[in-house]
Amino acid sequence: MIMNNDNFLQNLTKICGSRNISREPKDLEEYSKDLSFLKGKSPLCIVWPSKSQEVIKIVKLANDLKFHVIPVSLNSRFKQHGNSIPRKDKSIILNLSRMNKILSINRKNRVVMVEPGVTFEKLIPILKKEGLKLLLPVMPTASQSVLATALEREPITIPRYHWDSSDPLLCIEVVFGTGDLFRTGTAAGPGTIKQQQKMGQAQVNPMGPTQFSPFRIIQGAQGSLGVVTWATLKLELFPSIQKVYHLQSDNIQDLLDLQYELLKYRLCDELFILNDVNLACLLKEDQQEISQLVGNLERWNLIFIISGRGPLANDKISYLEGDIDDISAELGLNFSKSKVEITDKEIFHFLNEPCENPWRMRLKGAYQDMFFLTSFEKLPKFISLMETKFEKDLGIYIQPINQGTSYHIEFDLLYDPKDINEMKSIKEKNMGVRAQLMDFGAFFSKPYGLWAKDVFSHHSLEIIDALKKVKKIFDPNNVLNPGVLCFDD
Amino acid sequence: MEEEEYQKMIKRCVRCSVCKWIPQVQIKSQKYASGCPAIDIYNFHPYSGGGKIIIALAYEMGRIKPTEELRDIVYKCTACGNCAVACKYMNTLEPLEIIMKLREKLVNTGCGPMPQQQAYIEAVKKVNNPYNEPHEKRTDWIPDDVTLDPNAKILYFVGCTSSYRRKEMAIATARIMNEAGVSFNILQNDEFCCGSPILRIGDTTTFEEILNKNLDIIESRGIETVVFSCAGCYDTFKVDYPLSRKFDFEVKHTVELFDELIESEQLKLTDNVPIIVTYHDPCHLGRNAERYEDWDGDVVPLMPLVSINIPPKPKRTGSKGIYDAPRKILKKIPGLKLLEMERIQEYAYCCGAGAGVKSAFPEMALKTANMRIEEAEDSGADFLVSACPFCSTNLQDGINDKKSKLKYFDISEILLMALGLEPEKLKQATAEVL
Amino acid sequence: MLKEEILKEFQKIVGDENIDDGEVTTNTYAYNWCVEFVNYLANKDPIPFSSIPKAIILPSTTEEVQKIVQLCNKYDIQFKAQSTGLGPWNQPSTDNCVILDLRRMNKIVKIDVKNLYVVVEPYVSGAQIQVEVMKFGLNIHMPGAGPMASALASHTSMCGPGFTSPQTGHSARNVLGTEWVLPTGKILRLGSLGLKKESDWYSGDGPGPSLRGIMRGWVGTKSGLGVFTRVAMKLFPYPCNTKYIAKGHSPLYDFHLPDFIRAYLLDCRNFKHLEKSLLRIEEEEIAFICSHMSSFAVMAIFSYSLESLMDKIAIGSMKKPLVIVIAARTKREFDYKQKVMNLIMDELNLTNIIGSKYEPKSLFYAECLRANLGYHGFIATGGFQSAKGQCDTAALCLNTERKNIPLKQKYIEKGVIANDFGEGAWMTSYESGHYFHMEVPTLFDQTNAESVKGIAEYMEESNQMDLVKHLGTPFFIEGDELHDEWGPHLMNYHIWLRKIKETFDPNGISDPGFYISSKKGDV
Repeated sequence: MIMNNDNFLQNLTKICGSRNISREPKDLEEYSKDLSFLKGKSPLCIVWPSKSQEVIKIVKLANDLKFHVIPVSLNSRFKQHGNSIPRKDKSIILNLSRMNKILSINRKNRVVMVEPGVTFEKLIPILKKEGLKLLLPVMPTASQSVLATALEREPITIPRYHWDSSDPLLCIEVVFGTGDLFRTGTAAGPGTIKQQQKMGQAQVNPMGPTQFSPFRIIQGAQGSLGVVTWATLKLELFPSIQKVYHLQSDNIQDLLDLQYELLKYRLCDELFILNDVNLACLLKEDQQEISQLVGNLERWNLIFIISGRGPLANDKISYLEGDIDDISAELGLNFSKSKVEITDKEIFHFLNEPCENPWRMRLKGAYQDMFFLTSFEKLPKFISLMETKFEKDLGIYIQPINQGTSYHIEFDLLYDPKDINEMKSIKEKNMGVRAQLMDFGAFFSKPYGLWAKDVFSHHSLEIIDALKKVKKIFDPNNVLNPGVLCFDD
Repeated sequence: MEEEEYQKMIKRCVRCSVCKWIPQVQIKSQKYASGCPAIDIYNFHPYSGGGKIIIALAYEMGRIKPTEELRDIVYKCTACGNCAVACKYMNTLEPLEIIMKLREKLVNTGCGPMPQQQAYIEAVKKVNNPYNEPHEKRTDWIPDDVTLDPNAKILYFVGCTSSYRRKEMAIATARIMNEAGVSFNILQNDEFCCGSPILRIGDTTTFEEILNKNLDIIESRGIETVVFSCAGCYDTFKVDYPLSRKFDFEVKHTVELFDELIESEQLKLTDNVPIIVTYHDPCHLGRNAERYEDWDGDVVPLMPLVSINIPPKPKRTGSKGIYDAPRKILKKIPGLKLLEMERIQEYAYCCGAGAGVKSAFPEMALKTANMRIEEAEDSGADFLVSACPFCSTNLQDGINDKKSKLKYFDISEILLMALGLEPEKLKQATAEVL
Repeated sequence: MLKEEILKEFQKIVGDENIDDGEVTTNTYAYNWCVEFVNYLANKDPIPFSSIPKAIILPSTTEEVQKIVQLCNKYDIQFKAQSTGLGPWNQPSTDNCVILDLRRMNKIVKIDVKNLYVVVEPYVSGAQIQVEVMKFGLNIHMPGAGPMASALASHTSMCGPGFTSPQTGHSARNVLGTEWVLPTGKILRLGSLGLKKESDWYSGDGPGPSLRGIMRGWVGTKSGLGVFTRVAMKLFPYPCNTKYIAKGHSPLYDFHLPDFIRAYLLDCRNFKHLEKSLLRIEEEEIAFICSHMSSFAVMAIFSYSLESLMDKIAIGSMKKPLVIVIAARTKREFDYKQKVMNLIMDELNLTNIIGSKYEPKSLFYAECLRANLGYHGFIATGGFQSAKGQCDTAALCLNTERKNIPLKQKYIEKGVIANDFGEGAWMTSYESGHYFHMEVPTLFDQTNAESVKGIAEYMEESNQMDLVKHLGTPFFIEGDELHDEWGPHLMNYHIWLRKIKETFDPNGISDPGFYISSKKGDV
């Protein structure tokens, strides 16, 4: 069928209702760009479906009429990576923000089922009331989609609970690029979700059905293989007592060595390393306060939390303190105390609460982030490289992931968006440095926007070929988010 | 193994492959986790204990024919018995006995044994030893200064290998017994092959003839105790003979006798022997030297499909091998330090010589020896010690082939050193036969 | 047998001594555990021999595997790869198949202590890895099959629940960088291993989507989609001190207990009480082992022979047994964990039978640490297989177990499976109780035709019950017939799985018997 404006809009209206479609120039403009340096195309319209059936019909229509669908979880102004702006003409934005129900909270099995429009702001307090803890990335934005964050494999701050790189994502309901609805893991069946739940199932096993695990290919696909309409997420119990450790050093290796031991023996919950700039940005909102704090912090900051719960919470804290003291003594490490007082409350705030505006924007107003995975030994090498390239306003965040089997390292290039020269310089350096990092072996497991092409050029052709084959199976007409990853090269 | 039991058991392998390893809770390193030389060398599953159970079943079902291929696989096995120990850690199958029965069946059909093995059977029949050496030279090893007592109740059964190939062991044994004042005799020209090499390749008919011949002679001499320096002869007399014919005399390996003599202070270890040794448990002195215990119980159905033995049927697990005696001797030698290899006692790795492999598949024997030598080297010892002439020959071949710095001694030679009995003289005696 | 010219080409790849198409060797590889009832289910003669492979090939490197697979494509011969080779899924499904026995690929490629993973080839057993990583205070996840099984096979190709799953998870979720020879002969290196420069094993996901999604799923593709030649797998802290000394002689070795280890045997009143106990203990994150099993199975894990199993009547009449093992590195940790256990036992009115009514042999602890408890399933009849294999919540697992009892009893009454009162079950928590696995070990006599038929029919009926009553998917749903039966009830997954097979194995060379065939006409 040939697409024309009439049948296209008529059909969409029939599916979602006219109130849920916008062709307002302001909206079209908003969705054609984000905070990356990628220039997008203007979408034909924005559609807000309210249930899976509508998503199915839209994706099927896209296959019939040959238009593209760019799934977006929220209206967030803070989209950063160019993965949800149209790269091709004849694209529509599929905005899932009105699918915002928390479908179930299950304390017994420590799992929550949410739609894509559920935000951190909404979910965190509700879960807390139930004594449940969402596994968070470091201080997410309040309006960020919880589901989309998990779909993007954003690292969580508690590595010991990161049993698999896919955590906390468990089962998903997804509309493939063909328009077929699918449920993954144990959610696949037999029986409807209701029937499954009646038998006690809670969709907590992400693996399968049987001999494949399609959730893994949907995760990290940037909406190019399927549109996720709900997901179950793994939760933990909220501790009743927590103790903060904030250790500082000029020597990152000392901190790395200690965090390794803590991780190896699974002694702590939240665990990560920040440089002075990023820690200050997390703690303070005001530009001046941030700058002041940076001056008072040591270069490297290891933050970790030990926790206890229930009647024996204090006993647990005591045992962990004792074991950690022994390890520190064995390593012969001495860490300096902070010159300024940073309260536990301030640290808990950024660990447990979302922020209104992205914390990375606090110091300069804008940022470009570079993040990749690497191994323990290579961390110092990447840091040295970046510090020679960016002498100031460089935020660094090191997050052990997947129970310490690799490290997410993130370099945040902070800049003033009003300063054209600074922005230009960041833009230029951005691509060059990324290429250099890749040459050093940086594994950009999440290739976004402009640098995706470079990432794939650093990988074997077999990977690209296999990914393209997968795309052909699940989105044979390249309907979903064309241009991302390696699919259009 | 009775035919009926064989037919039942060959259907029960679960193909779990534990037979390829030493018992799982004894694994200490990746390198020394395996327990079966045949599978280690030839890799294909039929070479393992479990693989041979499957072969036995396939053969009974007529799926495979008695061919050279079959013969080759069935005989590339030292019958060391690791598979049996590993399997019976939990299970009740008898892979080693099944292998033996399978060989017997191949011999009966004319498919087995290997030609080289057939040749030594003929030699035993003709000259009473598998080396085809003249029978009259059997006693050539006896030095002039060794005292024998024609009236002794203790008989030293020297065995073919000690008599012809590992004379140093025979000499050392005789000297030690003399030193301890143990009155003993030997059968002289009435000593014949014990039959072990023939039994292990499945010629049970010839073996029966030999055992009867040997027992007739020994029993006619009023012997109370027979002592062996050869682990193979010892195992055969101790474990295999009674299955066909019971006897009243006691059997002892020299390590047991020497240990008793040291305990009773009939042997005094006077000389310092400042060496670091590791001890190799011969299969025939270790896991396989465990007697079958009589069982006259009932198989009681417990429920459909599950029956139990009342009283419990004794299971040969290798636990009753002779492990302590040699170690006790070595530990009592002044200045000597004993370091253990990873695989010891019932899960010791085979030297590679047994069950006709040395004659039919010398490369397999040598490869196995080399693997064991490497383990001995890794123990940190300078000397490798054992208590079996077969192990002695094969491990020394391995040392030479591998150009290892290890030195091999039989435990009797080490004991000789500790007794100050001029071991150099012994070495001169051995030089001519090496 | 292979045609002479084809045999020669294979010989060129691996050397004459590493390929065998002789009658004895190929017949030996045609045999496996439980093949008799697989044959029965396929309306074949219920003998323990499958189709006879055309030849057995022993490659030693990934490149050799690649060349073999390419040759298979050239001559339209299917292949089946196996490592330690236990179970019917190692068997060829047709007469046109060669077996790749990966026994010569037996290296531990790398122990990365700082990044907490190990890289291995196919023929390295769980025990072999464990003893090497223990030297660094680390541990490996081993499946219920036991420490003698290939760790690579469990991680890449099989379902992987294990006794230590509360602390070591599921093998499918412990996979990092992976080297994979696709059915076409191309070598795919997943994640960070696919980098052209400085490739490494620390991640198996991306760039972008994770191809682990098509690699194995929950229960693995059983060599239906290529050959895995090396894999990086996560390591875990060894739960206590690493002195592992078992003195004495087989089988009753005297294990020198590590400083801080303790077992609990608890008897829950009913399924509800059991569920509560499981969840309560697991959310405290203290258990190294947390397994529910029937009384019969409890007796078995403490026994080393059928006869000694009968000595354990004292623990043979429990209602809903729960076995917990806690272990600790330090006294503080141990004291804390024991305190938590005491608290929970008080709360739930439970008593530890160990120390009061029963004391296990020290060897039990050696087997807990070496993940050797599953092997005790063979004690009673030598024939054993698990029905079910559900994996989600404790409630689902227990519901399945409960509903299965009358069905199993029906077959017990027929006398075709052993009598465990229908209660035979093994259930373990994963990842401190985030999800659970349950299977129904069933004892049968593999030499008795009625028993073979009986267990086959029981398993079929059990599958049907799970399907109709929405009790989850058993872990043996594999092969065309079962996929086609279950697919329509599970989002038509079989259509997608088939597309994957068709796309990545266009010539249908990787034996689909325990996976899925492309069945091109039907898609």
